[in-house]
Amino acid sequence: MTSDPPLSTARWSAAPRPAGLLIAAAFLGAAATLTALSRAMLPETSGLFLFFAAVLLSATRFGFWVGIASAVAAFVLFNFLFVPPLYTLQIENPADLVALAEFLLVAALTGFLAGRLREEADAAKSRAAVLEVLSDFAADLAHLPDTDALLTLLPRHLSALTKGGAVVLVPRDGALALHAADPATELTAADWQAADRARRRQITEPGVQPGWEGSALTFVPLLHGDTLTAILGHASLDRRSLDLPFRDQAIAIICRQTSLALDRSAFAQAAEQARIAADREALRAALLTSLSHDLRTPLATILGSITTLRELRDTLPAPARIDLELAIEEEAQRLSRYVDNLLHMTRLQSGLTLRPTWVDPGDILTAAITRARRAFPSARISAAGAEALPLIRAEAGLLEQALFNLIDNAVKFSTAPAQVQIASHATETDLTLSVTDQGIGIAPDVMARIFTPFFRADPARTSGSGLGLTICLGIATALGGSLTVESPSSGGTTFHLRLPLPQAAP
Amino acid sequence: MTEPLLILIVDDEPQIQRFLGHALTAAGYATAHATTGAEAIAAVARLHPAQVILDLGLPDLDGKAVIERLRLTSDVPIIVLSAQDQEMEKIMALDLGANDFVAKPFGIGELLARMRACLRQSRPVVADVIRQGDLIVDLPGHQATLSDRALHLTPKEFDLLALLAQNPGSVQTHRQLLRQVWGPAHVEDLPYLRVFIGQLRQKIEADPAAPKLILTEPGVGYRWAEGA
Repeated sequence: MTSDPPLSTARWSAAPRPAGLLIAAAFLGAAATLTALSRAMLPETSGLFLFFAAVLLSATRFGFWVGIASAVAAFVLFNFLFVPPLYTLQIENPADLVALAEFLLVAALTGFLAGRLREEADAAKSRAAVLEVLSDFAADLAHLPDTDALLTLLPRHLSALTKGGAVVLVPRDGALALHAADPATELTAADWQAADRARRRQITEPGVQPGWEGSALTFVPLLHGDTLTAILGHASLDRRSLDLPFRDQAIAIICRQTSLALDRSAFAQAAEQARIAADREALRAALLTSLSHDLRTPLATILGSITTLRELRDTLPAPARIDLELAIEEEAQRLSRYVDNLLHMTRLQSGLTLRPTWVDPGDILTAAITRARRAFPSARISAAGAEALPLIRAEAGLLEQALFNLIDNAVKFSTAPAQVQIASHATETDLTLSVTDQGIGIAPDVMARIFTPFFRADPARTSGSGLGLTICLGIATALGGSLTVESPSSGGTTFHLRLPLPQAAP
Repeated sequence: MTEPLLILIVDDEPQIQRFLGHALTAAGYATAHATTGAEAIAAVARLHPAQVILDLGLPDLDGKAVIERLRLTSDVPIIVLSAQDQEMEKIMALDLGANDFVAKPFGIGELLARMRACLRQSRPVVADVIRQGDLIVDLPGHQATLSDRALHLTPKEFDLLALLAQNPGSVQTHRQLLRQVWGPAHVEDLPYLRVFIGQLRQKIEADPAAPKLILTEPGVGYRWAEGA
């Protein structure tokens, strides 16, 4: 994560630290000792150079004021120790005054320049650190899956910038709740009050300076339109800090970018909600159309056939009468299937509570096939491997409905006489029932929509409500299994209804 | 024995086709079947049916489009089969030139009655005097009598009465009545029509609150009761 950016407040004119003064004194001591030792061998001026060197070193290392102090001390010391009359502070030679001035000038210049250089270096380092924080933040923006995660990591970035605490508050039920904090802290009552002011006024609530009453944190409300999305709280920047504007800007950037990210997320959410509402609307419209069509057509046939039988009894030939009676029976069955499916779908959609029991899948398969043979007398329906299947936990009625719907679907999309094979296959963990037909297959562009409620692949040629497969999928899911489909381009379709086998058989 | 009249049944539901086929055959008609709008248009051109029974909800073409296309070349009587929730469709179909409608689900008697009214209309018997019960409408004389008492009708009331009585059993939409009695500028002036129908009922119906002659088709128009 972010490195620790030094927060430099050291200006060239910063007050000297005692350690600096001590070390500077040590330098001078060393210079004096060396001068004393080398006096015999070297000319007197070489001592002056040693003292110069000590003053330069101190000024470079410890800044302006240490440099000045060091220069004065060097002059006094040199004068006292090495300038005749020795061991006095008297100056006989006016040229020595010039030497003092030189000491002072050199020390001041060096201290000033070195201090400025260090300031620049510190500022550059600090800027680099701030940039690193911003780049980490940008990476978070780009990579984090949602705004929640972004808000969770945000305090860390902010506290890296301010060197103080940072928090993220989010509105919840008309109040504020702590979403994330770095370091993990509890907010004080003063903090909550300040945050709440920011929430109500929707303007930034600046933190108070140390020593004053109130929250030390600055609270920045983030708004989406008029709605508060979050409040960022961060410690105030040290006013003496050298790159204050730069850090201020960085904080502003983070606040703005976070706000934009929250905006985007809010827009995306609104769009998603609109899509869901549109979907629900479409579903309702489809349900109405289906109800209107799938209830009315059988009813119209039944009513029309019955009135024909009654009113035209005398002129109806016997085959026509039988066909009408058959039509009535078929349509009544169709109505009943449709009502079954509608009821199942309603149950599935309203959050079905399953009442599973131990059932023999073979029995259910047989029941579904019997029902299908009655409904589609001309279809050839065969089952293989249905004997000795392991027991499963399921609701018999639901499972039978799912199987019947799959057979119904297979018959519907086959040319008569329909050939439908049902295969069963059990593994350690799963039972798979596969319904295969030799029908027209499913076009790839339709494949994605076959489980959509009320979707009908070929409304012109086949009848039906478009609910069958939706319900199969719903039942498979409710029973903890899955429904998949294969339809090779060579024709024919296989639906695999996979159901989990309970691990502890009775 | 005359050649049975050919009825073209246009419906995409095989079950509806099935029972209508049996019913119309038993009622003495010949039937032809079409399941799409395109098929229907082709069949009308080829077979020249005496009447078309057209379901409004076809898979390929809108039922209204079929009527429009048919009306370009043919004035074959068209009865539309409509659903209860297709009120607007029904009215538009009638205004486009369909002759009558039957709402699904229907009893076969209702459909056969509509068909008869429609077929009669397509071969109008020119009658100067219409008698229905005690009511006599003398068209050339612009005179109507009820139980031998002359009715005092305004010219518009008489026109409206004549128009309704000339089409027994067959629905007349609000717009059709308004256009023919008041003129094309007044096709939206439904309140006129309501007032005049109310006045006519006062004058000719035994019980104006339970009319036996001028029947209301809610939202669509009025229908003159078939010969009582």
